[in-house]
Amino acid sequence: MDPVAFAWLGAGLGVGVTVFGVGTGIGRLAAAALEASSRQPENAADIRTTMIIGAALIEGVALLAGVICILLAVKSAG
Amino acid sequence: MSTDTTHAQTPNAAHASDAHGAAAHGSPKGSAVFETLIESLGDHHELNIFFGHFDILPIILIDNGLHVYPNVHSMEAAGAYTLHKGHPVRKADPEGASQPFDMSITNLVAYQFIAIALVLILFGLIRKRYVKTPTAAPTGLQNMLESLVLYVRDQIVRPNVGTEKRTERVMPLLIAFFFFILTLNLIGLLPGAHAATGALGVTMALALVSFLTVNYIAIKDAGIGSWFHHLLGGAPLYIAPIMVPIEIVSLFTKPFALMIRLFANMTAGHIVLLSLVGLIFFFESWVVTPVSVGFSLFIYFLELLVAFLQAYIFTMLTAVFIGLALGEHAAQDSHKDGHHDGHADSHDAIQDSISISNAH
Repeated sequence: MDPVAFAWLGAGLGVGVTVFGVGTGIGRLAAAALEASSRQPENAADIRTTMIIGAALIEGVALLAGVICILLAVKSAG
Repeated sequence: MSTDTTHAQTPNAAHASDAHGAAAHGSPKGSAVFETLIESLGDHHELNIFFGHFDILPIILIDNGLHVYPNVHSMEAAGAYTLHKGHPVRKADPEGASQPFDMSITNLVAYQFIAIALVLILFGLIRKRYVKTPTAAPTGLQNMLESLVLYVRDQIVRPNVGTEKRTERVMPLLIAFFFFILTLNLIGLLPGAHAATGALGVTMALALVSFLTVNYIAIKDAGIGSWFHHLLGGAPLYIAPIMVPIEIVSLFTKPFALMIRLFANMTAGHIVLLSLVGLIFFFESWVVTPVSVGFSLFIYFLELLVAFLQAYIFTMLTAVFIGLALGEHAAQDSHKDGHHDGHADSHDAIQDSISISNAH
């Protein structure tokens, strides 16, 4: 197999693994936030804010990986 | 011997030509779509909006002096420079290593000017009413903007930065962040246009402003000693060799993450949209069209959500970082301030009731 094919394989697999990790992370975060806000509905607003910040931080890492995958795909195409 | 070598070489050669042929077969169609996609995500020297490409943006080059042309066409006509792969280069040697320094008003810069003008005009329009009748109930445009501004103040800034005084101080910047980013994101959703926040340079500048503000406020309000103390991360002094490098890295990771997050979110949405539309050209078939269009419509609405969400997140994280950089200072101050907050709320309530009775 030539190196370009490996680069594309890497980019594709990288996106898959990233999405898997982030999906798990944000899923757990949302589950915990839901549980917390159903136990204490009066704190729901605070919990939602904290959840969004957490989700944004997780997403930031994911996007970093995504950018690397895109670079890999673009570099190997050009 | 000679037959052996030919035998050994033939399969290799055949294989090589095969691979080449396959690449030549598969690649042009696919890579043409891909190249168009990547190219349309970049910056241009003409204003792209809706379905037109308008050659109205000035070209400014620094090359042993300042060279200014009103647009690309007049630059080409003047003869000294030409556009090569989207960049203005010397006509005499387009592939040369040293090229004129490009300071042009490009597409994305123009979007930013448009966004600044839009925000200024919108807020300028409602300003007069606040000056003339400050207690009257808001109407129309004022309603929309006031609710957004109040949301940013009460939900994003006030809970995170600590005191009321500091809220007042950072509000102008954070409001500007929110509306500037939101406007750029929404401009990016117009057909034919591209979000300026989907360019690393733009988000880098925004993140830099955020970084400088966070540290300026931390040093000014908590003192330089407290700022250095914060580098310890609240750990005892003997862990300093480990904590200080980590905290210094985290000092720079925060704005870096802000930069990447905004850039990648806006670019990712555009790439997904363009890839879905690109599928039609890739398969060259009518069958995929409804699927493509349906999915892109879905992603488009998702993008609309992301446009608001990213403006919110950027503002929110800047506010959170201000609170974090202040450390215990913010918490102490907010405790002291708790009483005052209640006061301010009741004052607001009175104001509200006054404005309601005025409206009636």
